[in-house]
Amino acid sequence: MSTGLQCVSVSKHFGAVKAVNNVSFEVAPGALHTIIGPNGAGKTTLFNCITSELQPTSGEVRFDGHVISGRRPHELPAFGIARSFQRTSIFSNLTVAQNVWVSAFRAFSGTKVEVLRPADAHPEVTATIYQTLEEVGLSRYADAPATALAHGDQRLLDFAIALAPKPKLLLLDEPTAGLSRADTHRVMHLIEGLKGRYTIVLIEHKMDVVMKISDRITVMYFGEVLAEGTPEEIRANAKVREAYLGRRA
Amino acid sequence: MQKLFNLPTLIFVVVLIVGLPFVQRPVVAAEVLTLGIAAVATNLLLGYTGMLSFGQALFFGLGAYCAGILTTRYGLSAFLSIPAAMVFSAAAAWLIGLVCVRRSGLYFIMITFAFNQMVFFIAYSWTTMTGGEDGLPGVRRPMIIDDQWSFYVFTVLVFLASLCVMKLFVNSPTGRILQAIRDNPARAAATGHDVGRYKLIAFVMAGMFTGLAGAIFSFVFGIVPIDKIDWRFSGDIVFMTLLGGSGSFIGPVIGAAFYTWLQETVSQYWDRWPMIMGIVFALVVLFFRTGIAGMAEVIAAKAWGKRSTAKAKQMEAGS
Repeated sequence: MSTGLQCVSVSKHFGAVKAVNNVSFEVAPGALHTIIGPNGAGKTTLFNCITSELQPTSGEVRFDGHVISGRRPHELPAFGIARSFQRTSIFSNLTVAQNVWVSAFRAFSGTKVEVLRPADAHPEVTATIYQTLEEVGLSRYADAPATALAHGDQRLLDFAIALAPKPKLLLLDEPTAGLSRADTHRVMHLIEGLKGRYTIVLIEHKMDVVMKISDRITVMYFGEVLAEGTPEEIRANAKVREAYLGRRA
Repeated sequence: MQKLFNLPTLIFVVVLIVGLPFVQRPVVAAEVLTLGIAAVATNLLLGYTGMLSFGQALFFGLGAYCAGILTTRYGLSAFLSIPAAMVFSAAAAWLIGLVCVRRSGLYFIMITFAFNQMVFFIAYSWTTMTGGEDGLPGVRRPMIIDDQWSFYVFTVLVFLASLCVMKLFVNSPTGRILQAIRDNPARAAATGHDVGRYKLIAFVMAGMFTGLAGAIFSFVFGIVPIDKIDWRFSGDIVFMTLLGGSGSFIGPVIGAAFYTWLQETVSQYWDRWPMIMGIVFALVVLFFRTGIAGMAEVIAAKAWGKRSTAKAKQMEAGS
Protein backbone atom coordinates (compact mmCIF):
# COMPACT_ATOMS: atom_id res chain seq x y z
CA MET A 1 0.00 0.00 0.00
CA SER A 2 1.65 3.15 -1.16
CA THR A 3 -0.31 6.14 -0.01
CA GLY A 4 2.32 8.85 0.21
CA LEU A 5 2.15 11.38 3.00
CA GLN A 6 -1.07 12.26 4.78
CA CYS A 7 -1.62 14.97 7.36
CA VAL A 8 -4.93 14.37 9.08
CA SER A 9 -6.33 17.35 11.01
CA VAL A 10 -2.93 18.22 12.41
CA SER A 11 -3.00 20.92 15.10
CA LYS A 12 -0.22 22.35 17.19
CA HIS A 13 -1.16 24.78 19.90
CA PHE A 14 1.29 26.63 22.11
CA GLY A 15 -0.96 27.70 24.98
CA ALA A 16 -3.57 29.92 23.40
CA VAL A 17 -1.62 30.31 20.17
CA LYS A 18 -2.89 28.04 17.46
CA ALA A 19 0.26 27.85 15.39
CA VAL A 20 -1.15 25.06 13.26
CA ASN A 21 -4.88 24.46 13.33
CA ASN A 22 -6.64 21.50 11.77
CA VAL A 23 -4.41 21.16 8.74
CA SER A 24 -5.08 18.28 6.37
CA PHE A 25 -3.46 17.50 3.08
CA GLU A 26 -2.21 14.57 1.14
CA VAL A 27 0.86 14.13 -1.01
CA ALA A 28 0.67 11.48 -3.70
CA PRO A 29 3.71 9.25 -4.15
CA GLY A 30 6.20 10.86 -6.47
CA ALA A 31 4.60 14.30 -6.25
CA LEU A 32 6.27 17.56 -5.33
CA HIS A 33 4.04 19.32 -2.87
CA THR A 34 4.88 22.83 -1.69
CA ILE A 35 3.66 24.58 1.41
CA ILE A 36 3.66 28.34 1.13
CA GLY A 37 2.33 31.12 3.29
CA PRO A 38 3.36 34.47 4.73
CA ASN A 39 5.76 34.64 7.66
CA GLY A 40 4.20 33.25 10.81
CA ALA A 41 1.65 31.20 8.90
CA GLY A 42 2.78 28.06 10.72
CA LYS A 43 4.71 26.41 7.89
CA THR A 44 7.76 25.52 9.94
CA THR A 45 5.65 24.37 12.90
CA LEU A 46 3.76 22.06 10.55
CA PHE A 47 7.05 20.86 9.10
CA ASN A 48 8.37 20.12 12.57
CA CYS A 49 5.22 18.13 13.32
CA ILE A 50 5.84 16.03 10.22
CA THR A 51 9.50 15.43 11.17
CA SER A 52 8.56 14.61 14.79
CA GLU A 53 10.67 17.50 16.02
CA LEU A 54 7.38 18.59 17.62
CA GLN A 55 4.42 16.45 18.57
CA PRO A 56 1.04 17.58 17.21
CA THR A 57 -1.49 18.62 19.87
CA SER A 58 -4.05 16.63 17.92
CA GLY A 59 -4.35 14.88 14.58
CA GLU A 60 -1.81 12.56 13.05
CA VAL A 61 0.72 12.25 10.25
CA ARG A 62 0.86 9.08 8.19
CA PHE A 63 3.31 7.90 5.63
CA ASP A 64 3.08 4.77 3.56
CA GLY A 65 0.35 3.45 5.82
CA HIS A 66 2.30 4.06 9.05
CA VAL A 67 1.52 6.66 11.67
CA ILE A 68 4.72 8.68 11.95
CA SER A 69 3.63 11.34 14.42
CA GLY A 70 4.30 10.62 18.10
CA ARG A 71 7.72 9.20 17.34
CA ARG A 72 11.19 10.55 17.95
CA PRO A 73 13.13 12.21 15.11
CA HIS A 74 15.71 9.44 14.85
CA GLU A 75 13.00 6.87 14.13
CA LEU A 76 11.82 8.47 10.89
CA PRO A 77 14.67 7.44 8.55
CA ALA A 78 13.63 3.83 9.08
CA PHE A 79 10.38 4.68 7.24
CA GLY A 80 12.33 6.05 4.29
CA ILE A 81 12.01 9.67 5.32
CA ALA A 82 14.81 12.21 5.13
CA ARG A 83 14.88 15.93 5.73
CA SER A 84 17.04 18.91 5.05
CA PHE A 85 17.36 21.86 7.37
CA GLN A 86 16.53 25.52 6.85
CA ARG A 87 19.86 26.62 8.20
CA THR A 88 22.57 24.49 6.70
CA SER A 89 23.09 21.59 9.04
CA ILE A 90 26.22 19.58 8.47
CA PHE A 91 28.96 17.95 10.55
CA SER A 92 31.56 20.67 10.43
CA ASN A 93 34.62 18.78 11.70
CA LEU A 94 34.17 15.82 9.37
CA THR A 95 35.16 15.67 5.71
CA VAL A 96 32.57 15.97 2.96
CA ALA A 97 32.56 12.21 2.36
CA GLN A 98 32.34 11.48 6.10
CA ASN A 99 29.31 13.78 6.33
CA VAL A 100 27.47 11.69 3.77
CA TRP A 101 28.75 8.53 5.45
CA VAL A 102 26.70 9.36 8.56
CA SER A 103 23.40 8.88 6.76
CA ALA A 104 24.59 6.31 4.22
CA PHE A 105 25.88 4.04 6.96
CA ARG A 106 22.61 4.29 8.87
CA ALA A 107 20.68 3.15 5.80
CA PHE A 108 23.14 0.31 5.28
CA SER A 109 23.45 -1.05 8.82
CA GLY A 110 20.18 -0.13 10.49
CA THR A 111 20.27 0.44 14.22
CA LYS A 112 23.03 -2.10 14.83
CA VAL A 113 25.93 -0.67 16.82
CA GLU A 114 29.18 -1.60 15.15
CA VAL A 115 32.55 -1.25 16.84
CA LEU A 116 34.66 -4.05 15.44
CA ARG A 117 35.43 -2.80 11.94
CA PRO A 118 36.79 0.53 10.74
CA ALA A 119 34.12 3.00 9.66
CA ASP A 120 35.20 2.96 6.03
CA ALA A 121 35.37 -0.82 5.68
CA HIS A 122 32.06 -1.16 3.83
CA PRO A 123 32.47 -0.79 0.05
CA GLU A 124 28.68 -0.55 -0.42
CA VAL A 125 28.57 2.51 1.83
CA THR A 126 31.53 4.10 0.07
CA ALA A 127 29.87 3.51 -3.31
CA THR A 128 26.68 5.18 -2.11
CA ILE A 129 28.66 8.16 -0.79
CA TYR A 130 30.45 8.80 -4.08
CA GLN A 131 27.31 8.24 -6.12
CA THR A 132 25.45 10.79 -4.00
CA LEU A 133 28.29 13.31 -4.12
CA GLU A 134 28.36 12.89 -7.89
CA GLU A 135 24.65 13.63 -8.09
CA VAL A 136 24.90 16.90 -6.16
CA GLY A 137 28.16 17.81 -7.86
CA LEU A 138 30.53 17.69 -4.90
CA SER A 139 32.60 14.60 -5.67
CA ARG A 140 35.80 16.55 -6.24
CA TYR A 141 35.59 17.89 -2.66
CA ALA A 142 35.06 14.44 -1.09
CA ASP A 143 38.12 14.59 1.15
CA ALA A 144 37.95 18.30 1.99
CA PRO A 145 36.78 19.36 5.43
CA ALA A 146 33.10 20.30 5.31
CA THR A 147 33.84 23.79 6.61
CA ALA A 148 36.12 24.46 3.63
CA LEU A 149 33.12 24.37 1.29
CA ALA A 150 31.50 27.57 0.07
CA HIS A 151 28.11 28.43 1.53
CA GLY A 152 26.12 27.15 -1.42
CA ASP A 153 28.13 23.94 -1.57
CA GLN A 154 27.45 23.35 2.11
CA ARG A 155 23.72 23.47 1.34
CA LEU A 156 24.27 20.91 -1.39
CA LEU A 157 26.15 18.76 1.12
CA ASP A 158 23.15 19.07 3.44
CA PHE A 159 21.10 17.69 0.53
CA ALA A 160 23.58 14.89 -0.06
CA ILE A 161 23.21 13.80 3.57
CA ALA A 162 19.45 13.62 3.05
CA LEU A 163 19.69 11.84 -0.31
CA ALA A 164 22.29 9.17 0.47
CA PRO A 165 19.92 6.75 2.26
CA LYS A 166 17.73 6.81 -0.90
CA PRO A 167 14.62 7.91 0.99
CA LYS A 168 11.09 7.64 -0.33
CA LEU A 169 10.04 10.97 1.13
CA LEU A 170 12.15 14.12 1.18
CA LEU A 171 11.18 16.95 3.48
CA LEU A 172 12.86 20.18 2.47
CA ASP A 173 12.58 23.21 4.72
CA GLU A 174 13.30 26.36 2.69
CA PRO A 175 16.22 24.85 0.81
CA THR A 176 17.11 28.17 -0.83
CA ALA A 177 16.91 30.34 2.29
CA GLY A 178 19.90 32.64 2.56
CA LEU A 179 21.44 31.57 -0.73
CA SER A 180 22.69 33.81 -3.51
CA ARG A 181 20.85 33.83 -6.83
CA ALA A 182 23.36 31.58 -8.46
CA ASP A 183 23.24 29.07 -5.59
CA THR A 184 19.43 29.23 -5.51
CA HIS A 185 19.50 28.29 -9.15
CA ARG A 186 21.80 25.31 -8.48
CA VAL A 187 19.63 24.04 -5.64
CA MET A 188 16.41 24.39 -7.61
CA HIS A 189 18.01 22.66 -10.56
CA LEU A 190 18.92 19.80 -8.25
CA ILE A 191 15.38 19.59 -6.86
CA GLU A 192 13.94 19.54 -10.38
CA GLY A 193 16.23 16.63 -11.09
CA LEU A 194 14.91 14.78 -8.04
CA LYS A 195 11.30 15.35 -9.02
CA GLY A 196 9.41 12.19 -9.84
CA ARG A 197 11.97 9.94 -8.16
CA TYR A 198 11.06 10.98 -4.65
CA THR A 199 7.96 12.21 -2.91
CA ILE A 200 8.94 15.73 -1.94
CA VAL A 201 7.43 18.17 0.51
CA LEU A 202 8.91 21.61 0.13
CA ILE A 203 8.55 24.73 2.20
CA GLU A 204 9.53 27.72 0.15
CA HIS A 205 9.26 31.46 0.06
CA LYS A 206 10.40 32.27 -3.44
CA MET A 207 7.20 32.36 -5.48
CA ASP A 208 8.67 32.18 -8.97
CA VAL A 209 10.46 29.01 -7.99
CA VAL A 210 7.42 27.46 -6.34
CA MET A 211 5.09 28.11 -9.25
CA LYS A 212 7.52 26.55 -11.66
CA ILE A 213 8.32 23.26 -10.01
CA SER A 214 5.39 22.28 -7.76
CA ASP A 215 2.76 19.70 -8.64
CA ARG A 216 0.47 20.93 -5.91
CA ILE A 217 0.56 23.79 -3.46
CA THR A 218 -0.95 24.22 -0.01
CA VAL A 219 -1.29 27.81 1.10
CA MET A 220 -1.24 28.38 4.86
CA TYR A 221 -2.50 31.48 6.55
CA PHE A 222 -2.63 32.03 10.33
CA GLY A 223 -2.12 28.34 11.00
CA GLU A 224 -4.87 27.13 8.69
CA VAL A 225 -5.10 25.91 5.14
CA LEU A 226 -6.31 28.79 2.99
CA ALA A 227 -6.25 26.97 -0.30
CA GLU A 228 -4.87 23.93 -2.03
CA GLY A 229 -4.45 23.19 -5.69
CA THR A 230 -2.20 23.18 -8.72
CA PRO A 231 0.02 26.21 -9.29
CA GLU A 232 -2.50 27.54 -11.85
CA GLU A 233 -5.40 27.19 -9.43
CA ILE A 234 -3.43 28.89 -6.68
CA ARG A 235 -2.42 31.71 -8.99
CA ALA A 236 -6.07 32.26 -9.91
CA ASN A 237 -7.41 31.97 -6.35
CA ALA A 238 -8.80 35.30 -5.17
CA LYS A 239 -8.37 34.53 -1.47
CA VAL A 240 -4.72 33.66 -1.96
CA ARG A 241 -4.08 36.81 -3.98
CA GLU A 242 -5.58 38.87 -1.23
CA ALA A 243 -3.80 37.18 1.64
CA TYR A 244 -0.43 36.56 0.17
CA LEU A 245 0.30 37.23 -3.44
CA GLY A 246 -1.81 40.36 -3.43
CA ARG A 247 0.68 42.20 -1.35
CA ARG A 248 3.35 41.62 -3.87
CA ALA A 249 1.34 42.46 -6.98
CA MET B 1 43.72 -4.03 8.30
CA GLN B 2 44.13 -0.31 8.23
CA LYS B 3 47.05 1.28 9.95
CA LEU B 4 45.85 2.03 13.45
CA PHE B 5 48.20 4.85 14.35
CA ASN B 6 49.98 7.39 12.20
CA LEU B 7 53.76 7.73 12.29
CA PRO B 8 54.06 10.77 14.60
CA THR B 9 51.81 9.06 17.15
CA LEU B 10 53.85 5.86 17.02
CA ILE B 11 57.11 7.76 17.43
CA PHE B 12 55.67 9.72 20.34
CA VAL B 13 54.44 6.59 22.11
CA VAL B 14 57.76 4.76 21.67
CA VAL B 15 59.80 7.75 22.85
CA LEU B 16 57.49 8.17 25.82
CA ILE B 17 57.60 4.54 26.91
CA VAL B 18 61.35 4.22 26.52
CA GLY B 19 62.24 7.69 27.73
CA LEU B 20 60.02 8.02 30.79
CA PRO B 21 61.98 5.68 33.09
CA PHE B 22 65.16 7.66 32.34
CA VAL B 23 63.71 10.92 33.63
CA GLN B 24 61.51 9.58 36.41
CA ARG B 25 61.47 6.67 38.81
CA PRO B 26 59.77 3.66 37.20
CA VAL B 27 56.74 3.96 39.50
CA VAL B 28 56.25 7.57 38.50
CA ALA B 29 56.65 6.57 34.86
CA ALA B 30 53.95 3.98 35.47
CA GLU B 31 51.80 6.69 37.04
CA VAL B 32 52.13 8.81 33.88
CA LEU B 33 50.92 5.95 31.70
CA THR B 34 48.08 5.19 34.09
CA LEU B 35 46.85 8.77 34.10
CA GLY B 36 47.41 8.77 30.34
CA ILE B 37 44.86 5.95 29.95
CA ALA B 38 42.36 7.94 32.04
CA ALA B 39 42.93 11.11 30.03
CA VAL B 40 42.57 9.39 26.65
CA ALA B 41 39.42 7.67 27.93
CA THR B 42 38.00 10.99 29.13
CA ASN B 43 38.75 12.42 25.72
CA LEU B 44 36.39 9.85 24.18
CA LEU B 45 33.73 11.97 25.84
CA LEU B 46 35.25 15.43 25.64
CA GLY B 47 36.98 15.44 22.27
CA TYR B 48 35.06 12.82 20.34
CA THR B 49 31.51 13.20 21.62
CA GLY B 50 31.58 16.75 22.96
CA MET B 51 30.55 15.80 26.49
CA LEU B 52 32.43 17.44 29.35
CA SER B 53 32.21 14.98 32.23
CA PHE B 54 33.12 16.37 35.60
CA GLY B 55 32.74 12.96 37.16
CA GLN B 56 35.66 10.99 35.80
CA ALA B 57 37.28 10.74 39.24
CA LEU B 58 34.22 8.74 40.21
CA PHE B 59 35.23 5.98 37.80
CA PHE B 60 38.94 6.34 38.48
CA GLY B 61 38.26 6.04 42.20
CA LEU B 62 35.73 3.26 41.75
CA GLY B 63 38.23 1.24 39.73
CA ALA B 64 40.96 1.93 42.28
CA TYR B 65 38.83 1.01 45.30
CA CYS B 66 37.37 -2.03 43.59
CA ALA B 67 40.82 -3.42 42.70
CA GLY B 68 42.25 -2.34 46.07
CA ILE B 69 39.47 -3.84 48.15
CA LEU B 70 39.40 -7.11 46.21
CA THR B 71 43.16 -7.40 46.63
CA THR B 72 43.55 -6.37 50.27
CA ARG B 73 40.35 -7.66 51.82
CA TYR B 74 39.57 -10.68 49.63
CA GLY B 75 43.08 -11.68 48.67
CA LEU B 76 42.40 -11.65 44.94
CA SER B 77 45.37 -11.44 42.57
CA ALA B 78 45.83 -8.22 40.63
CA PHE B 79 45.30 -10.15 37.43
CA LEU B 80 41.75 -10.89 38.57
CA SER B 81 40.96 -7.75 40.53
CA ILE B 82 41.95 -5.40 37.69
CA PRO B 83 39.55 -6.93 35.13
CA ALA B 84 36.89 -7.09 37.85
CA ALA B 85 37.39 -3.39 38.55
CA MET B 86 37.05 -2.68 34.84
CA VAL B 87 33.76 -4.56 34.60
CA PHE B 88 32.50 -2.90 37.76
CA SER B 89 33.38 0.58 36.46
CA ALA B 90 31.68 -0.15 33.14
CA ALA B 91 28.53 -1.32 34.93
CA ALA B 92 28.55 1.78 37.15
CA ALA B 93 29.08 3.99 34.09
CA TRP B 94 26.13 2.35 32.41
CA LEU B 95 23.82 2.95 35.38
CA ILE B 96 24.98 6.51 35.98
CA GLY B 97 25.11 7.20 32.25
CA LEU B 98 21.45 6.24 31.85
CA VAL B 99 20.62 9.30 33.94
CA CYS B 100 23.41 11.63 32.76
CA VAL B 101 23.18 11.36 28.97
CA ARG B 102 19.61 12.63 29.01
CA ARG B 103 21.03 16.05 29.69
CA SER B 104 23.54 18.02 27.70
CA GLY B 105 25.78 21.04 28.21
CA LEU B 106 25.90 22.56 31.66
CA TYR B 107 23.29 20.16 33.07
CA PHE B 108 25.36 17.18 32.01
CA ILE B 109 28.43 18.65 33.73
CA MET B 110 26.48 19.30 36.92
CA ILE B 111 24.88 15.88 37.09
CA THR B 112 28.17 14.05 36.56
CA PHE B 113 29.62 16.28 39.26
CA ALA B 114 26.73 15.42 41.60
CA PHE B 115 27.24 11.68 41.12
CA ASN B 116 30.94 12.14 41.75
CA GLN B 117 30.23 13.84 45.09
CA MET B 118 27.74 11.16 46.04
CA VAL B 119 30.19 8.33 45.48
CA PHE B 120 32.94 10.34 47.17
CA PHE B 121 30.90 10.54 50.36
CA ILE B 122 30.20 6.84 50.27
CA ALA B 123 33.95 6.19 50.02
CA TYR B 124 34.57 8.78 52.74
CA SER B 125 32.09 7.36 55.23
CA TRP B 126 32.41 3.63 54.61
CA THR B 127 35.67 3.50 56.53
CA THR B 128 35.57 -0.22 57.27
CA MET B 129 35.76 -0.93 53.56
CA THR B 130 37.62 2.01 52.04
CA GLY B 131 39.73 3.28 54.91
CA GLY B 132 37.90 6.61 54.64
CA GLU B 133 40.03 9.71 54.88
CA ASP B 134 43.25 7.77 55.39
CA GLY B 135 42.89 5.92 52.13
CA LEU B 136 43.21 2.22 51.52
CA PRO B 137 46.82 1.10 52.06
CA GLY B 138 48.55 -2.21 51.53
CA VAL B 139 47.49 -2.98 47.98
CA ARG B 140 50.13 -5.57 47.12
CA ARG B 141 51.30 -6.30 43.61
CA PRO B 142 51.54 -9.95 42.63
CA MET B 143 55.05 -11.45 42.91
CA ILE B 144 55.68 -11.55 39.20
CA ILE B 145 55.27 -7.79 38.80
CA ASP B 146 56.34 -6.80 42.28
CA ASP B 147 59.63 -5.04 41.54
CA GLN B 148 59.23 -1.64 39.97
CA TRP B 149 60.72 -2.51 36.58
CA SER B 150 58.51 -5.49 35.90
CA PHE B 151 55.57 -3.45 37.13
CA TYR B 152 56.51 -0.75 34.64
CA VAL B 153 56.56 -3.28 31.82
CA PHE B 154 53.14 -4.51 32.94
CA THR B 155 51.80 -0.94 32.90
CA VAL B 156 53.27 -0.38 29.43
CA LEU B 157 51.44 -3.46 28.14
CA VAL B 158 48.14 -2.35 29.64
CA PHE B 159 48.71 1.16 28.30
CA LEU B 160 49.39 -0.07 24.76
CA ALA B 161 46.45 -2.48 24.80
CA SER B 162 44.14 0.27 26.05
CA LEU B 163 45.32 2.69 23.38
CA CYS B 164 44.75 0.09 20.66
CA VAL B 165 41.24 -0.77 21.84
CA MET B 166 40.24 2.87 22.24
CA LYS B 167 41.70 3.76 18.85
CA LEU B 168 39.81 0.90 17.19
CA PHE B 169 36.69 2.20 18.89
CA VAL B 170 37.30 5.73 17.63
CA ASN B 171 37.92 4.48 14.07
CA SER B 172 34.83 2.27 14.07
CA PRO B 173 31.42 3.32 12.77
CA THR B 174 30.40 4.02 16.35
CA GLY B 175 33.35 6.38 16.81
CA ARG B 176 32.46 8.21 13.60
CA ILE B 177 28.83 8.57 14.69
CA LEU B 178 30.00 9.98 18.04
CA GLN B 179 31.94 12.66 16.17
CA ALA B 180 28.86 13.43 14.10
CA ILE B 181 26.87 13.81 17.33
CA ARG B 182 29.55 16.12 18.71
CA ASP B 183 29.33 18.34 15.63
CA ASN B 184 25.57 18.39 15.24
CA PRO B 185 23.32 16.28 17.48
CA ALA B 186 20.08 17.38 15.82
CA ARG B 187 21.29 16.37 12.39
CA ALA B 188 22.70 13.09 13.68
CA ALA B 189 19.28 12.29 15.11
CA ALA B 190 17.55 13.30 11.89
CA THR B 191 19.72 10.87 9.96
CA GLY B 192 18.43 8.11 12.19
CA HIS B 193 20.99 7.73 14.94
CA ASP B 194 19.74 7.37 18.50
CA VAL B 195 21.85 10.11 20.08
CA GLY B 196 21.16 9.06 23.68
CA ARG B 197 22.16 5.48 23.02
CA TYR B 198 25.46 6.47 21.40
CA LYS B 199 26.26 8.94 24.16
CA LEU B 200 25.68 6.15 26.65
CA ILE B 201 28.09 3.90 24.75
CA ALA B 202 30.74 6.64 24.87
CA PHE B 203 30.09 7.15 28.57
CA VAL B 204 30.49 3.45 29.32
CA MET B 205 33.70 3.20 27.27
CA ALA B 206 35.16 6.24 29.02
CA GLY B 207 34.05 4.97 32.43
CA MET B 208 35.45 1.51 31.81
CA PHE B 209 38.92 2.68 30.78
CA THR B 210 39.06 5.37 33.45
CA GLY B 211 38.19 2.61 35.91
CA LEU B 212 40.95 0.44 34.48
CA ALA B 213 43.38 3.33 34.95
CA GLY B 214 42.25 3.65 38.55
CA ALA B 215 42.68 -0.07 39.14
CA ILE B 216 46.28 0.04 37.86
CA PHE B 217 46.88 3.16 39.92
CA SER B 218 46.05 1.36 43.16
CA PHE B 219 49.10 -0.86 42.52
CA VAL B 220 51.42 2.00 41.57
CA PHE B 221 51.99 3.20 45.12
CA GLY B 222 50.11 0.36 46.81
CA ILE B 223 47.51 2.74 48.19
CA VAL B 224 44.18 4.21 47.14
CA PRO B 225 44.18 7.79 48.43
CA ILE B 226 40.74 9.31 49.00
CA ASP B 227 41.59 12.32 46.85
CA LYS B 228 41.57 10.18 43.72
CA ILE B 229 37.78 9.94 43.98
CA ASP B 230 37.40 13.60 44.94
CA TRP B 231 35.75 15.93 42.39
CA ARG B 232 38.93 18.00 42.26
CA PHE B 233 40.65 15.06 40.64
CA SER B 234 37.87 15.06 38.02
CA GLY B 235 39.01 18.58 37.27
CA ASP B 236 42.61 17.39 37.07
CA ILE B 237 41.69 14.74 34.49
CA VAL B 238 39.87 17.36 32.42
CA PHE B 239 42.95 19.57 32.78
CA MET B 240 45.22 16.81 31.45
CA THR B 241 42.89 16.18 28.53
CA LEU B 242 42.55 19.81 27.49
CA LEU B 243 46.20 20.68 28.07
CA GLY B 244 47.36 17.74 25.98
CA GLY B 245 44.82 18.46 23.29
CA SER B 246 41.27 17.19 23.01
CA GLY B 247 41.42 17.31 19.21
CA SER B 248 44.07 14.60 19.11
CA PHE B 249 43.79 10.96 20.11
CA ILE B 250 47.15 10.76 21.84
CA GLY B 251 47.31 14.40 23.00
CA PRO B 252 45.80 13.83 26.45
CA VAL B 253 48.79 11.59 27.32
CA ILE B 254 51.04 14.66 27.03
CA GLY B 255 48.74 16.42 29.48
CA ALA B 256 48.99 13.47 31.86
CA ALA B 257 52.78 13.58 31.67
CA PHE B 258 52.88 17.31 32.36
CA TYR B 259 50.46 16.96 35.28
CA THR B 260 52.51 14.17 36.83
CA TRP B 261 55.69 16.17 36.40
CA LEU B 262 54.13 19.12 38.24
CA GLN B 263 52.83 16.92 40.98
CA GLU B 264 55.87 14.72 41.47
CA THR B 265 58.80 16.99 40.66
CA VAL B 266 57.78 20.63 40.90
CA SER B 267 55.87 19.99 44.12
CA GLN B 268 59.16 19.04 45.82
CA TYR B 269 60.51 22.53 45.29
CA TRP B 270 57.38 24.60 45.53
CA ASP B 271 54.30 23.89 47.64
CA ARG B 272 52.08 26.08 45.55
CA TRP B 273 52.53 24.06 42.35
CA PRO B 274 48.78 23.98 41.62
CA MET B 275 49.20 27.69 40.83
CA ILE B 276 51.32 26.74 37.83
CA MET B 277 48.54 24.38 36.80
CA GLY B 278 46.03 27.22 37.03
CA ILE B 279 48.15 29.60 35.01
CA VAL B 280 48.94 27.01 32.35
CA PHE B 281 45.29 26.09 32.14
CA ALA B 282 44.25 29.71 31.69
CA LEU B 283 46.85 30.16 28.95
CA VAL B 284 45.74 27.03 27.14
CA VAL B 285 42.08 28.00 27.23
CA LEU B 286 42.87 31.56 26.10
CA PHE B 287 45.45 30.95 23.39
CA PHE B 288 45.90 27.26 22.57
CA ARG B 289 42.44 25.75 22.45
CA THR B 290 43.82 22.70 20.72
CA GLY B 291 46.34 22.01 23.49
CA ILE B 292 49.95 20.93 23.15
CA ALA B 293 49.16 18.31 20.49
CA GLY B 294 47.25 20.87 18.46
CA MET B 295 50.16 23.28 18.68
CA ALA B 296 52.59 20.59 17.55
CA GLU B 297 50.31 19.80 14.61
CA VAL B 298 50.19 23.44 13.52
CA ILE B 299 53.96 23.77 13.72
CA ALA B 300 54.50 20.51 11.85
CA ALA B 301 51.95 21.49 9.20
CA LYS B 302 53.73 24.81 8.68
CA ALA B 303 57.11 23.15 8.28
CA TRP B 304 55.62 20.49 6.03
CA GLY B 305 53.59 23.06 4.10
CA LYS B 306 56.73 25.04 3.25
CA ARG B 307 58.38 21.94 1.91
CA SER B 308 55.41 20.82 -0.15
CA THR B 309 54.79 24.26 -1.69
CA ALA B 310 58.44 24.41 -2.62
CA LYS B 311 58.08 20.99 -4.21
CA ALA B 312 54.95 22.05 -6.09
CA LYS B 313 56.77 25.09 -7.45
CA GLN B 314 59.64 22.92 -8.58
CA MET B 315 57.24 20.60 -10.38
CA GLU B 316 55.48 23.53 -12.02
CA ALA B 317 58.77 24.91 -13.24
CA GLY B 318 59.75 21.49 -14.49
CA SER B 319 56.59 20.83 -16.50
